Amino acid sequence: MASITYVEFNGAQHVINVADGDNVMRGALDNGIEGIIGECGGGLACATCHCYVDDAWADRLPAPGQTELDMLECASAERKATSRLSCQIVIDPALDGLVVHLPETQY
Amino acid sequence: MATAPAAEVPAHVPPELVYEIGLTTGPEFLAAPHAFMAKLHETHPPIFYSVNPIAGNSWVTIKHADAFFTLRHPEYFTTAGATPFPRDPNNYFFFIPLEIDPPHHRKYRAILDPTFSPQGVLKLEGYMRGLANDLIDDFIDKGETDFTTAFGRPLPVSIFLDLMGLPQDMRDTFVGWAVNLLHSQDRTSAGLAMRGIEAYLAQVIAEKTMTPDDRVISTIIQARPDGEPLTEREIFGFTFFLFIAGLDTVFATLNNMWLWLANNPDRRQEIIDNPDNIDAQVEELLRVFSVTFSGRTLTQDIEMRGVQMKAGDKFSSILPACNYDPEVFPNPTTVDFSRPRKPILAFAGGVHSCIGAHLARLEIKVALQEWLRRIPDFSVAPGAKTEYWPGGVVGPKALPLIW
Repeated sequence: MASITYVEFNGAQHVINVADGDNVMRGALDNGIEGIIGECGGGLACATCHCYVDDAWADRLPAPGQTELDMLECASAERKATSRLSCQIVIDPALDGLVVHLPETQY
Repeated sequence: MATAPAAEVPAHVPPELVYEIGLTTGPEFLAAPHAFMAKLHETHPPIFYSVNPIAGNSWVTIKHADAFFTLRHPEYFTTAGATPFPRDPNNYFFFIPLEIDPPHHRKYRAILDPTFSPQGVLKLEGYMRGLANDLIDDFIDKGETDFTTAFGRPLPVSIFLDLMGLPQDMRDTFVGWAVNLLHSQDRTSAGLAMRGIEAYLAQVIAEKTMTPDDRVISTIIQARPDGEPLTEREIFGFTFFLFIAGLDTVFATLNNMWLWLANNPDRRQEIIDNPDNIDAQVEELLRVFSVTFSGRTLTQDIEMRGVQMKAGDKFSSILPACNYDPEVFPNPTTVDFSRPRKPILAFAGGVHSCIGAHLARLEIKVALQEWLRRIPDFSVAPGAKTEYWPGGVVGPKALPLIW
């Protein structure tokens, strides 16, 4: 279990407890956070669960794989150094307190 | 699948955008459907009005961006009424979740999200591998088989039965229903299949209400979105839709891929020689051998690429053509396993993006790995002529192979 803070583009914050083994996208979908779409269901096929990992956490996550990097090219909002696909951030207790910022749009 | 009656071309459709290309039904399409759809980019505008006395009239797009736009804006492009499947008006059911627009859509989708997630479907991998090998055992020593009936059909049907919690001894019955429902040219056979499925599933739903298991039908029965169970019609519509959606699509996809594999020994060897690239191989084969179309109905007037369309118009994304869009996939007809990963439209997109996409990917991956491990060299039987099914799921009717 980890407490994840989702910061929407308009600044609204949601603090959600997400179970170990779930991922950051799933935590958003299951809790009605609209800034994440995740239309493919978490399989690196749609680039609609784009998020920006907070600067304080940027170096603390495992690096994205090549497929995730390819798919981030297809994300609708601006790609930044901290861009990730939230379906690929798998929850474990070390992520407790993680903050992710959601882009203006996923389409 | 049943077809919609032909309709007049509405007055607001400019004559220069009206084309009768025999999409899914004409001789040129049926001679080589994927090549036909790829070539539309050279001969047709991005959006045009397809007239078809058999399949019905509608706007169509061949552009990747336009397909994603329509699929991602259900407020303009609704799935309600877009599926021309005959149902009894006195005992009506919706295809759930396809025919449900947001926001209600999510409550249904959430019921099965864990089952169909990439992690969820992995639980079936062992079963799939065993099944693929059992099927291959039945014909490998003969040196020949009809791929469609010996492998392409039974593999997804058996996986469906396992997933749903239905007995494997129903396989041949379900195969018969699938064939009659989706490919018979007469309404009587389709109607009989429909009634057979309806009666069987009604009995299964009653049994699983009393004695639930951990499979999909029980999961749907036991779901309590908003604190309330689904109605019998909802449970039936949900289960029936999964049956329609998951069987013929994987069947056709496998048939298309194996035809290509049989005719391209070098590329087959490339797959065998690069086992670590299997996910990209599956994705690229899905791109070039997509099999379906996404029909919608406009809820309001809209203009796209300067084309004026009106509320009530039908709109269809020719998904296989959209996957050959040269703006997104350069040299689109080249099968290239090293392409950068991009969203493909094999499973449509938007909220109604295929829930079984990861299941299908895994089925294809397992089928490729197990088949090529045991039958690395094979070809189409001499003299065999490839004929395609007309209609909304694109694939060859038969595929006799030898090795």
